[in-house]
Amino acid sequence: MEENVLNPDKWVDRYADYLFNYTIVRVNDREVANDIISETFLAGLNSMKNFKGDATERTWLISILKRKIIDHYRRINSGKGQAEVKMNFPNSEDEGDWLEEKVADLSDMTAEDRMENTELGLAILECLDQLNEKQAQIFKMKTIDGIDTETICNEFNISPSNLWVIIHRARTSLAKCLEKNWF
Amino acid sequence: MKGLSLMKLSCAEAASLCTKAEYREANLKEKLRLKLHIYLCRTCKDYQHNNKKLSSLLKKANLKSCSSSEKENFRKKMNNGNSQASQEQKKH
Repeated sequence: MEENVLNPDKWVDRYADYLFNYTIVRVNDREVANDIISETFLAGLNSMKNFKGDATERTWLISILKRKIIDHYRRINSGKGQAEVKMNFPNSEDEGDWLEEKVADLSDMTAEDRMENTELGLAILECLDQLNEKQAQIFKMKTIDGIDTETICNEFNISPSNLWVIIHRARTSLAKCLEKNWF
Repeated sequence: MKGLSLMKLSCAEAASLCTKAEYREANLKEKLRLKLHIYLCRTCKDYQHNNKKLSSLLKKANLKSCSSSEKENFRKKMNNGNSQASQEQKKH
């Protein structure tokens, strides 16, 4: 079995997007998410000696990230003393006093759906990790960032038909990797 | 017949055209060639079906990425934090 080792020089390239997608759905603010991720990387650096190698690097960083996110929730709630629960009491003039009639519209995307989609996103990023670096990079630029073909071709010095072959191969491996859980 | 041979497409070409079409960058001629090929080729038809499904999954996942300046910022903070930590270690 492969030994899990830490390689902090590669953390940002390898995991920044992953950590970001994990965080943003939970804190809903880009700046806050970035701060939490910086803290996570730093905490990781400072506790490298505690890494036992049972988990992968990514899992280990995620476990630190989770704690940082909880810290963040505590911080924003500490001013109020307690986490605040808002409840709108039904107005007797409205029709229907039953709580069931007060719940949000089911056709809305629920928090659960959003979490599931984030999980899907993280699964995709994990699968992309298995591609070679150039392939993954080109795929991400095209698919996630929506950068136009010409720009990518210039940057990597490849022809457009080359680019489509690379993306086609990336998508084929991605589909295979996702097959088990998501297709 | 000459017209038909112009439309001919190998499966490998069809696969990358199919991908190109998923990103809405295939032109009319390419789309026609792809359509014809898929009409005749079961394997590529299945491939296109999967490819479309993958696109919808990707859309659903709504992935975001950090900009290069944000990544640079992470690196900077890591470097700063690291040098501070090693200085502290020296003190002890």
